Amino acid sequence: MAEDTTDYQRPPAEVRFAAELERLREDDTGPRPPGWALSLTAARRFIVGDDAIGVTRKFVGDASLIDRALVTLATSRGLMLVGEPGTAKSLLSELIAAAVSGTSTLTIQGGAATTEDQIKYSWNYALLVSEGPSTRSLVPAPLLDGMAQGRIVRFEEITRCPLEVQDSLLSPLSDRVLAIPELTGPESMVFARDGFNVIATANTRDRGVNEMSAALKRRFNFETVFPIADFGTELDLVEAEAARLLERSGVAVAPRRDVLEVLVTTFRELRNAATEDGRTLDRLSAVMSTAEAVSVAHAVGVRGWFLRGEAGGAADIVECLAGTAAKDSPDDLSRLRRYLEQQASRRDGEQWKALHAARHLLPG
Amino acid sequence: MAVTFLGVRHHSPACARLVRAEIERLDPAFVLIEGPADVGDRLDELLLGHEPPIAIFSYYRDAERVHASWSPFCAYSPEWVALHAGDAAGAEVMFIDLPAWHPAFAERSNRYADAERRYADAVERLCRTFAVDNTDVLWDHLFEIDATDLPAEGGEDLAARLDADPSGRRGDGLAARLDAYFDLIRGEAEAGADDTARETYMAGWIRAAEAEAGDRPVVVVTGGFHTPALRALVAAGGGAEWPEVPSPPDGATGGSFLVPYSFRRLDAFTGYQSGMPSPEYYQRLWEGGPDAAAAALTETVVTRLRKRRQPVSTADLIAARTLTEGLTRLRGHRAPARTDLLDGLVAALVTDDLDQRLPWTSRGPLAPGAHPAVAEMVAALSGDRVGRLHPDTPAPPLVHDAAAELERLGLDRAGTFTLKLTTERGLARSRALHRLRVLGVPGFVRESGPETGADPVLEERWHVTAPDAGGRRTSALIEAGAHGPTLADAAVSALEERLTGAGGDMARLAEVLFDAALCGCAGQADRIAASISTRIGGAPDLGPLGLALDTVLGLWRHDRVLGTARSPLFGRVVQECVTRVLWLAEGVRGATAPADPDRLRAMAATRDALLHAAGPLGLDRDAALGVARRVAADPEAPPDLRGAAFGLTRTLATTGNTATAGTTATGSTAGTGSTAASTGTGDPVRALRGAAAPATFGDWLAGLFALARQEVLDADTGVLAVLDELVGDLDEADFLVALPALRQAFEYFPPREREAIAQALLERRGLRGSGRSLLRTPAAPMVIAEARALEDRVDRALTAAGLTQGEPA
Repeated sequence: MAEDTTDYQRPPAEVRFAAELERLREDDTGPRPPGWALSLTAARRFIVGDDAIGVTRKFVGDASLIDRALVTLATSRGLMLVGEPGTAKSLLSELIAAAVSGTSTLTIQGGAATTEDQIKYSWNYALLVSEGPSTRSLVPAPLLDGMAQGRIVRFEEITRCPLEVQDSLLSPLSDRVLAIPELTGPESMVFARDGFNVIATANTRDRGVNEMSAALKRRFNFETVFPIADFGTELDLVEAEAARLLERSGVAVAPRRDVLEVLVTTFRELRNAATEDGRTLDRLSAVMSTAEAVSVAHAVGVRGWFLRGEAGGAADIVECLAGTAAKDSPDDLSRLRRYLEQQASRRDGEQWKALHAARHLLPG
Repeated sequence: MAVTFLGVRHHSPACARLVRAEIERLDPAFVLIEGPADVGDRLDELLLGHEPPIAIFSYYRDAERVHASWSPFCAYSPEWVALHAGDAAGAEVMFIDLPAWHPAFAERSNRYADAERRYADAVERLCRTFAVDNTDVLWDHLFEIDATDLPAEGGEDLAARLDADPSGRRGDGLAARLDAYFDLIRGEAEAGADDTARETYMAGWIRAAEAEAGDRPVVVVTGGFHTPALRALVAAGGGAEWPEVPSPPDGATGGSFLVPYSFRRLDAFTGYQSGMPSPEYYQRLWEGGPDAAAAALTETVVTRLRKRRQPVSTADLIAARTLTEGLTRLRGHRAPARTDLLDGLVAALVTDDLDQRLPWTSRGPLAPGAHPAVAEMVAALSGDRVGRLHPDTPAPPLVHDAAAELERLGLDRAGTFTLKLTTERGLARSRALHRLRVLGVPGFVRESGPETGADPVLEERWHVTAPDAGGRRTSALIEAGAHGPTLADAAVSALEERLTGAGGDMARLAEVLFDAALCGCAGQADRIAASISTRIGGAPDLGPLGLALDTVLGLWRHDRVLGTARSPLFGRVVQECVTRVLWLAEGVRGATAPADPDRLRAMAATRDALLHAAGPLGLDRDAALGVARRVAADPEAPPDLRGAAFGLTRTLATTGNTATAGTTATGSTAGTGSTAASTGTGDPVRALRGAAAPATFGDWLAGLFALARQEVLDADTGVLAVLDELVGDLDEADFLVALPALRQAFEYFPPREREAIAQALLERRGLRGSGRSLLRTPAAPMVIAEARALEDRVDRALTAAGLTQGEPA
């Protein structure tokens, strides 16, 4: 790519992993679905990793989820990724789009103010007024581009859009055609080329998928993305990410493993509303995702280093939890307090004891 | 060398096929199978022609431990197939592993359990290499389904070794692939002392067989994990005499017999410590191959779903089929594997977000509330086949034990028996009958007797009917025989199963525990205790939990008749219940919720436990006091609970070591604000005034009275005076609002105490008279209320007409 991307804060996946994609393309002997940049097998290796040719593992989760997602995209149904916030749904959709189409930037961001214009097409009004409707005055939006070029279109947070806007996907997904009634002749119909499909994401906290119309639901296969199942994997991830962020913030010590263990266990138990040994707890209304755990670990490290010149301990966790976990909800705060009072006190280990002892640092 | 080692995975159809082919090809002199050697002389019992799944049930009892275990066989078990193929080929078939009672099996309840933790690391790495979710999927990929791209994928040593099939001796390379796989995982795993003991023993048999067979082949069928070690041990040489079959040590009893088994128990998704998942799928795979299995099971799933009125359209089926096909190809399978089928179905049929992970990705049991489509899929692949033993199979020992026991106790005739539980014989008879009852053996009905742990009934009446001609009782006993060899053992095991089924249902749990007490099983139920704590830890509501705590605390404290006083099992339950009650109590919300007597009973039971059992059970009074203080001071908590918590702090603070309790509690509530400290240290008069809103203070009092009635009766606390004053200050409307809750609160006082209160009220007003008469109203409350309403209306009418003197009423 000629463009200099070195000072981008976050280049898209196809740029970040350009070298890996290139190697996979060279190595790729499998049959490709029509319009795909890679074969299914190579696309899978791009995401789950393959040490043999230096492709990193980019998504920590069930391999079968990737299989199902890729096969779905090769069929005539769209892919709907649902799950709690912070479960890496968007990352997954970006990776899949980069692998399948070579581009992950045909993205519609859903929101309360999303209109059909932003999904399908709009007009350059100056040209429209001077020349009338024509392909020159037409401004394509991601869906039109994706259909015309045969690429994956990503629709983020689809359930945050009004229902009638969501339903504008119906005919592109079922008939694979988009009508532009303002134009005449063959240009008034844009037929989807091979390789076009839609990956939508929806989080279960905002407005769930229940309200989505049955007609639209039918055109998607649903995949639920879960938080990381394995404690060790999550701990490693939090440790690595926190260490990276701390380094960037100029903190000279690495986070302590035993402190992170307490932190990750707390997050997991409050997220699952159950302790590791199966006692049920109350579910917090706040999101206790791995991403949140990383940001708390980061904050703990920053506090410890800049306030006291050390790595940060359990007391810092309590201080930071109040901000992330409880946010502005007094109910969450009292649930958190109850956890620290009654659950943390039962655990062995220096850091658990410190966490229990620091419980009065919770505000209120 | 004439010994052929076939390392298998238990319950694997691919391995079973390999075993059958090899035995037919080699025509061996001996077929040696990993199975309990003490059953070796009764192998003809296994060959009678049973309908699998069946199991060899082994039991053992000595002074220290009781152990029961199963060696289950299904039609596609390699061991089962080896047994039959070996017999058909005229070979001598032998079981060569240590008996199930041997200490090497002390930790296991299923000889053929898979998914060993021992080689988890190696398996996890292989799963990463082949990009699959877990060991079951890996196994299917490598062995059950012919994958086209096996050697090519990944750079792992396994793949490399799978590539070089060194012998080329066996058709499709499956045997070589198995060897490579098991070499790899064994190479990395720590074999424990138990494994070493078993392998040394098995190697002895193999050497003896090899020596005796001369130049004829010997086939050895064992779990693949043992094969590399066995090979090395046999090659190293040693004595070639037949090993002895160990017999249980003196003073111990043990034995093995055949029992019917079921797919439900075999399934890892439902059973505990079981082997491969989805037995029905593998049964179909064994019978008709992968395509037939996939087709049949898709049909079953769809039929089941439609029966449950879940919509499954033709379009969904087409999508499922397409997806399965796509997944099969993506994963390099020639035919759909188990998870290709499941993944295809779930992607097409589920159009919601799921609450829990798919059970076949995480290898866990299905939690309640699973998506109906997922639940039906798991159920369909699990199947509900139940094995049947051939009629000539010797009856399990339970049948004889039950008959002998009934005869000994004089219960082997029809009639009505009245048993005195206080006599030794009466108790023994009662226990035998209760054990038969919990085992579901028909013909034994209890007509009366103690209903709960606190029931002071010391007699039971039983009606026993004669055994019926149809043999229903005998067949029930044969079925129950799978639980254990004696009535006592079988009853424990049956109760355990009920406990597992009870889940978090505290009422059922209490029932099971009471049954355990009646059966006299509470003393030996360590296994029950282990699983019980997590169940209690999952209880969602205070009410049922309080009921369970009440029952069990009664049994633990008092019951010398049933012999449960100070039983460790019940003690454990009390501990867990108290911890859980305190946890739940702090989480209840609803500042205007009405009083809930069940909840208050739970608090009262917790108080009793803390007062009477804290020492011996090591309950943490200070922690309890901390919780009680926080709840009492929490404005969001329901008033009755706050009152109860306040009562609890009073009771604990006055009865316990006040000084210690006081200081620790002050420390522990330091963060929760000064309100906690002030109410916590407990001036009841202040607390009462604090709670005195008309809508809530009746409820608050109900909580207080449920736990601490004495507070009101003690003149020096001044509670009664304040109460009198507060009630006196209520205006008419507020009084009516407060009345129902107040009435409920005073229900907690027995009549004699109510009389004392009435008397004290009279004295406060300087009146003379009988407190008792104050408690009786001259007419029904409704009549009084109507009369007052009428008077009110008359007053108002008079006032409106200007007919009253002075100011209106």
